[in-house]
Amino acid sequence: MPVLNRHYRRYDFEGDLEKALNRVDFFRIFHTMALRYGFEHFGVLQLINEHETSQLATRLMLHDLPAGLAETYDKRYRLNDSTLFKSFYRSTISTVWRSTDHFENGARDGSDFLDQIGFDMALSIPVHSVNGTRFAVLFLGDGDDIDRREHYEICYEAGCAFDYFHRQVLANKAGMGLTPRETEILRWISYGKTASEIALIVSVSEHTVNSHTATILKKLDVVNRTQMVAKAIREQIIQ
Amino acid sequence: MTAPVHILLVDDDPAENVILRALMRKVASYAITLHYVETVDGALDFIRAAGAPLDMILMDNRLQPQADFRETVPELRRNGYIGPVGVISSSISDAYFQKIDDYGVDFRIDKAELDPTAIEFILQEYVKRDAGAGI
Repeated sequence: MPVLNRHYRRYDFEGDLEKALNRVDFFRIFHTMALRYGFEHFGVLQLINEHETSQLATRLMLHDLPAGLAETYDKRYRLNDSTLFKSFYRSTISTVWRSTDHFENGARDGSDFLDQIGFDMALSIPVHSVNGTRFAVLFLGDGDDIDRREHYEICYEAGCAFDYFHRQVLANKAGMGLTPRETEILRWISYGKTASEIALIVSVSEHTVNSHTATILKKLDVVNRTQMVAKAIREQIIQ
Repeated sequence: MTAPVHILLVDDDPAENVILRALMRKVASYAITLHYVETVDGALDFIRAAGAPLDMILMDNRLQPQADFRETVPELRRNGYIGPVGVISSSISDAYFQKIDDYGVDFRIDKAELDPTAIEFILQEYVKRDAGAGI
C-alpha cells in the first residue's frame, strides 16, 4: 500500500522510488541520477548547525565517493570552514560551484571545497525531512556547468529521492515502532542467541541481524543488548 | 595499502565472470579476489572447503536447476552461510524482487548498474574493512 497518493507528483521516477527497500537501492537511485546529469559522485549530507563541528565522513549519510576520500578530507581540512558549508546557513537555495569561478578582481570565488576534495564542479541541493531536519544532496564531478532546465530537474528529482530515502531508511519510527522482523530478532536475543546463531535461525545474513540489532538499540533508546531485552520486557514487546 | 576481499560469483554464464573480473580490477581501494563457480552446488562446495576466506556472495538470479533467488539463496542459508548475499539480474523490477528480505538476500543490483563505484559502495556497506585507512 503506497504511502503517497497521486497528488505527490513524482513523474516517471515514482516506480523506482516506490520499490526502493534499502541503502543499496537508494545508492543506485542517487548514483544513476548523478551520472545522468553529468556528475560522477553524490553525497547526502546531514546538516546539524553551523557552529557544531561537522566532519564530512560522519555527516555523509549515503555517498558513492571513493573509499577513504571523506576521511582523508577530514584529516586535512575542516568542513565547517569551507564556503560551501557556510552557504547552507545563508540560504536554502540550490548552489553551483565551479573551480573556474573567479571574482572580477581575479580572486577565487568559493572554490575552496572543490580544490580540497579534488573536483571541478559541485551542485548542492538543500533538502529537509518531514520532521524538519536538514540535509543537502551534493553532486560532484568534472563536467561543464549545468543548464537551467537540468538544474530544475535534478533539484526536483533529488528532493523526491531524498524524501523516500529519509522515510524508508533514515527515519527512526516514533515510539517503540519495531517491525515484525525486528521483534523476532529481539526475541531470539532474549533467548540468549548470538548474532550468527540468529542469522542461521531466521535465514538472513549476520550483517542483516547486526543491522536490525543496531536499529532496535536505537528505537528502544538503549545502549546494549542486556538493556534492550530488559526494556523490551518492561514495555511488553516480549514476554 | 588496500584491504583484501574475497567475493564468490555464482553465475552459469562464464562471460559474466570475465566481465565482472575486469570491473573488479578497476576498484582501487580493495584488493578483490574473485572466485567463480557456475552452480549453487559449486558454491556450497566452495563454502564447505575448510579455510576458504569468503566475504560476500554475488549470485546470478536465475541458476539451473533452481528457478531464481527464492530457491537458491535459502539453499545457501540452510547450509550455514551467514555472510552477505547480493543478487545480480538484468531485470530487478519484477514484483518478487520486493521480497528479497524474506529470502535472506541482502541487496539486489541490476547488471547494467554494476560499475566499480557500485562495487566499492557495496563493499563499504557489507564488508567492514578499514579500506583507505592507509591513504
